[in-house]
Amino acid sequence: MKRYVYINDDESPTQDLYCDNRISNRKYTVWNFLPKNLWEQFSRFMNQYFLLIACLQLWSLITPVNPASTWGPLIFIFAVSASKEAWDDYNRFLSDKKANEKEVWIVKHGLKKPSRAQDVRVGDIVWLRENDEVPCDLVVLGTSDPQGLCYIETSALDGETDLKTRGIPSACTGIDSELLHKIKGVIECPNPDKDIRRFDANLRLFPPFIDNDVCPLTIKNTVLQSCYLRNTEWACGVAVYTGNETKLGMSRGIPEPKLTAMDAMIDKLTGAIFVFQIVVVVVLGIAGNVWKDTEARKQWYVQYPKEGPWYELLVIPLRFELLCSIMIPISIKVSLDLVKSLYAKFIDWDIEMFDQETGSSSHATNTAISEDLGQVEYIMTDKTGTLTENKMVFRRCCISGTFYGNESGDALKDVRLQNAVASGSPDVIRFLTVMAICNTVIPVQSKNGNVLYKAQSQDEEALVQAAAKLHMVLFSKSGNLLEIRFNASAIKYEVLDILEFTSDRKRMSVVVRDTRDDKIFLLSKGADEAILPCASAGQQTRTLNEAADQYAQLGLRTLCLAWRELKEDEYQEWSLMFREASSTLVDREWRIAEVCQRLEHDLEVLGVTAIEDRLQDGVPETIEMLRRAGINFWMLTGDKQNTAIQIALSCNFISPEPKGQLLLIDGKTEDEVCRSLERVLLTMRITSSEPKDVAFVVDGWALEIALKNHRKDFTELAILSRTAICCRVTPSQKAQLVELLKSCDYRTLAIGDGGNDVRMIQQADIGVGISGREGLQAARAADYSIGKFRFLKRLILVHGRYSYNRTAFLSQYSFYKSLLICFIQIFFSFISGVSGTSLFNSVSLMAYNVFYTSIPVLVSVLDKDLSEKTVMQHPQILFYCQAGRLLNPSTFAGWFGRSLFHAIVVFIISINAFAYEKSEMEEVAMVALSGCIWLQAFVVIIETNSFTVLQHLAIWGNLIGFYIINWIVSTIPSSGMYTIMFRLCSQPSYWITIFLIVGAGMGPILAIKYFRYTYTPSKINTLQQAERLGGPILSLGNIDPQQRSMEKEVAALSITQPKGRNSVYEPLLSESPSGTRRSFGSAAPFEFFQSQASRLSSSYSRNCKDN
Amino acid sequence: MSNDNAAPSSSSAAANGSADSAAPRRNSKRPKYSKFTQQELPACKPILTPGWVISAFLLVSVIFVPIGVASLFASRDVVEVVDRYETACIPPQNRTNKVAYIQSSSNKTCVRVLTVPKRMKAPIYIYYELDNFYQNHRRYVKSRSDQQLKSNSSQNDTSTCKPEDLVNGTAIVPCGLIAWSLFNDTYSFSRGNESLNVNKKDISWKSDRDHKFGDNVFPKNFQSGGLKGGGSLNESKPLSEQEDLIVWMRTAALPTFRKLYGRIEVDLNIGDTINVTLGNHYNTYSFNGKKRLVLSTTSWLGGKNDFLGIAYLTVGGLCLFLAVCFIIVYLVKPRRLGDPSYLSWNRSPGGR
Repeated sequence: MKRYVYINDDESPTQDLYCDNRISNRKYTVWNFLPKNLWEQFSRFMNQYFLLIACLQLWSLITPVNPASTWGPLIFIFAVSASKEAWDDYNRFLSDKKANEKEVWIVKHGLKKPSRAQDVRVGDIVWLRENDEVPCDLVVLGTSDPQGLCYIETSALDGETDLKTRGIPSACTGIDSELLHKIKGVIECPNPDKDIRRFDANLRLFPPFIDNDVCPLTIKNTVLQSCYLRNTEWACGVAVYTGNETKLGMSRGIPEPKLTAMDAMIDKLTGAIFVFQIVVVVVLGIAGNVWKDTEARKQWYVQYPKEGPWYELLVIPLRFELLCSIMIPISIKVSLDLVKSLYAKFIDWDIEMFDQETGSSSHATNTAISEDLGQVEYIMTDKTGTLTENKMVFRRCCISGTFYGNESGDALKDVRLQNAVASGSPDVIRFLTVMAICNTVIPVQSKNGNVLYKAQSQDEEALVQAAAKLHMVLFSKSGNLLEIRFNASAIKYEVLDILEFTSDRKRMSVVVRDTRDDKIFLLSKGADEAILPCASAGQQTRTLNEAADQYAQLGLRTLCLAWRELKEDEYQEWSLMFREASSTLVDREWRIAEVCQRLEHDLEVLGVTAIEDRLQDGVPETIEMLRRAGINFWMLTGDKQNTAIQIALSCNFISPEPKGQLLLIDGKTEDEVCRSLERVLLTMRITSSEPKDVAFVVDGWALEIALKNHRKDFTELAILSRTAICCRVTPSQKAQLVELLKSCDYRTLAIGDGGNDVRMIQQADIGVGISGREGLQAARAADYSIGKFRFLKRLILVHGRYSYNRTAFLSQYSFYKSLLICFIQIFFSFISGVSGTSLFNSVSLMAYNVFYTSIPVLVSVLDKDLSEKTVMQHPQILFYCQAGRLLNPSTFAGWFGRSLFHAIVVFIISINAFAYEKSEMEEVAMVALSGCIWLQAFVVIIETNSFTVLQHLAIWGNLIGFYIINWIVSTIPSSGMYTIMFRLCSQPSYWITIFLIVGAGMGPILAIKYFRYTYTPSKINTLQQAERLGGPILSLGNIDPQQRSMEKEVAALSITQPKGRNSVYEPLLSESPSGTRRSFGSAAPFEFFQSQASRLSSSYSRNCKDN
Repeated sequence: MSNDNAAPSSSSAAANGSADSAAPRRNSKRPKYSKFTQQELPACKPILTPGWVISAFLLVSVIFVPIGVASLFASRDVVEVVDRYETACIPPQNRTNKVAYIQSSSNKTCVRVLTVPKRMKAPIYIYYELDNFYQNHRRYVKSRSDQQLKSNSSQNDTSTCKPEDLVNGTAIVPCGLIAWSLFNDTYSFSRGNESLNVNKKDISWKSDRDHKFGDNVFPKNFQSGGLKGGGSLNESKPLSEQEDLIVWMRTAALPTFRKLYGRIEVDLNIGDTINVTLGNHYNTYSFNGKKRLVLSTTSWLGGKNDFLGIAYLTVGGLCLFLAVCFIIVYLVKPRRLGDPSYLSWNRSPGGR
């Protein structure tokens, strides 16, 4: 499907075909809000259930209590989420309105007129001035620049802050700005899509503007919605996509909500409770009907009619269904939403995760999945920009066999290189020329005369900077003309073509014409394996290969630079093909790559550059700590194998021999890969019982074969291996790997910083983006964005762990309290003729779930079982969260039993203490209710590990609040408990009964808890005891002397450096002996929380309950 | 560190103009520090040390046992005379078909003799006790109209009263099964030849008389339907003065319950014989319900009920037992809290 855009054609019928430029991000309109919102809310099972219950309650024959007791909370909960939605939508409406009413200049009937942004239609010519925001996707037709260039800032689109160049199509060059008003033509472009890097279209102008030639259009000719025009006086373009059909509009969309493992578990438990409820209802329903037929007929005062209606048999079961409906707490959803947003806030607020350097704090975009952070089992990490700083510094180079910078570690300071430059050695000059020209860097003259570089690629910027330091300055770039200055002389080159970098080609080239002698050159740079095969036949590439290997060994990024002089006719011939390929609409990228290949051969390789990418602060420590916490790390990088392995070694990712072992999966053909995979798998199976750190390395090619043909084997390998390095992988392979681990039921976390990580971040259970130098794309797509990799340990160990613990308590407690009151109702039905009478009145039932019991438990979000320091010292404790030890069917059974026990205690004591003459229903109900409230307060107390002021306030305040509320309600004659609370509170027997309930209810709980705590303590308990008593556990010396020595060494290292943040980095290069030793030393004391063998059985251990 | 960085940039912001305008904004992104946001609120972190737990259990037992003893004494102080009469008050010849007897119109007066076992101080409460009577049955407990009881104007508000709502199309006041099944046995007492006065005033809750039962609502059509349930009411007295009804309408939570009938306001001495003249009208025979007459004094805890005392002693004793057990276990097998060797990762053979 294609779209034809007729430029500036007011009568064109196509105008109405496409939507106008009204942006609408709204989900609702005023009219459909209520039905649509309700529909959405009722598509959830829980809500359907509650609605059914609420509807059943309207039938007064079966309702045990006032329908308000369900309708009230239901409406409240619905109103809360509906008004939240409405508020969000209203804000979206306001921002849409602002955008839609922005003034833009449109050409109408040959005249430029101001208009509202929403009135732009497809085919209109839109005029932009400097710093204007682009209202829709435009194809640029003219700019103030004579070459037809303009600069745009695309940060709103992809988060990249550097300026990008856009140019007019060749057909439009030279058209006078006045004539642009009258331009007519047609653009043939694909239907709207969301690919912001691709726009494969053709333009044909109508006479009198040039001939009917088809002119290809690329993304370079477009300015997309929400970009800003910069450094350009004006530009005009024709609207091709408008409104919600723009590239930005299409890429918008609500991502699938992620469900945490914990939510899934809670849903499962809810289902179990539901089944239990049905069983109870059926049993009691049958019992009720039997009792009715045998006993109730004799109870003359009940006046059961002889013949009932047809539904007679259903009445009692339905009554019990309603009575038991509180088993599933209606408040749990609200409570969970509330505490989850607080967890997210805690992450946002955390000052220790604030990145001083970029001034960015951590942010939880997805507020619903904090618990999952505590359950992470696999971390898939990107390398560049994630583990490293992505701050490229040119370090070494090898020019025609001569190594520079090997001694000093900095080629720029190498005297020999400086001399070579000064003496004008032709090889070196050419090398520097390629460094300076072969790129897409935009030089910008600043006011004080310096040249600043705006680059999309950090590597290119580093090369250009380095060239400038060596006196080869890329001075200006205007249109096709670029000027470099070597020493004092200016040299101008005309850029003829740019053969762009793609991740498949792994190289980029430019074709330039030297204006001095009109010679045409092809300048290339790229990965060594992409350049060296293209070298001319006679050239010795061995030294270059060695150089590249040697640099990679040091963890440096290498690029080969090459060049070739082109014959004029060769170029012309190729140029035609290239043009043709560039204007194809289908498979353009592939066609271009093919054409480029035809030019990039017989290259003369000039040399190799080595760029250092520093490791971020604290990366080795973070990885080591998280691995001790039982998390497995996979490194997925687009970088080459050697570099990846070196980085992996230096950041504790893998251990050096003999502690660690690297297994390589490689091969070019399918057979080779298959054999290598089997070999690795075999080794892995053998070594899995040894406490050895085995990792496998796989490259993109082998990975593709393995994933396609040997998925089963590879999956087994993935499960066996704690560590893996996948190099040379594409974004989609990253996502596939995540998918693979997810399919094995592991919780995965993907962390990355660049656009190439977006897919894996979205795919993973938890996506973490580093708001780094490669733009904010990853951070935007992610669930959490952090400033530095080292914050990950805090995110997981502190925030993830606390969130898990807190939610585990909160959710189970919610069930406990609902079951408690429900059990009492069930017991009461046995002494009320199994007739479905509710012991409690409507007000109490409603307030029980909503007020009395929800506040104390909500402050459990402040509970900390262990201090942050202890957790950091013993990251192994995360295992409890990973294995789901705190919320699983067996812990739930414990809570179930507890609520049953407490219900028995409350029920037995209240009906016996208030027997005979005191057996007044309203009084007994309030005694039982007070008993429940007191017990639940004490349960919260006994389960709370740390009491802050707020907790005391909530727990005791809630108890006092209970009495105050009930006293108030007791003054209302129609409340069903008129004067009851006053009456009870003045009786000593009431207080004695409550006291007894608390004693009898909590005594055994405390005894069991104490016994477990002391004699079969969980690791958490042990650490708690150690922490509070200052036990020996916390002085690491006793346990882990090696560790401490390592930490000492780290301390010593950091002391030698000044306090500034820039200097705290650890050089990657192994030349500093302490650095190497450190990385070895810290890798040595690896300990596995689970041995390799037990990993396999983790599915069992997951269900085991420890405490 | 941030302050070091921020200070020069903000001071130079003015000079450099737009270039540094981002600097202050940057700093404002820094989260504000507060103990709450950093989750660092001072907290008390108790742990279950043996000392604390054992002393808690000891404390509980020390408190519970005396309360138990006191409750038990209070309960034992109460003097109670209970007389089960539902069978005894049926002439032997009618005992084969009690239901027919109770439904007949014969004279159902019956005399019972009670002996006072201990001195009973006034006031002595007279209760009737019913057994196997489900006042809490759902059909029963809901069959009343509070609006109708309260005010004359909502006389026809009988929708909740089915099946005892209307008779011949006009509302029954008071309507509903509860009122309809009003208990109607009567008791009169005499000691020797001296008749004991039964005070039936103020046997119901004052709040009920004042606010729940209207003083302008008079019984109407009561017990005039086809089926006669329990007792009938004096139509010239407003509901707020029909105390037997008010007492009856406070439904009981249990199938066995006592309701106040009246008070005897003279002391009864040990060995006194009390003659009770009983009007045995109420039908509990169709469901084998027992009827008892109870004379009881009262204590600070209420009537005679050993449950609280025994429960307190049990819980107190159990706590004492647990405390002793814990002490013994603690002494026999002391265990260091927070011992690092309990951490499995410190025991792993792969360690050192």
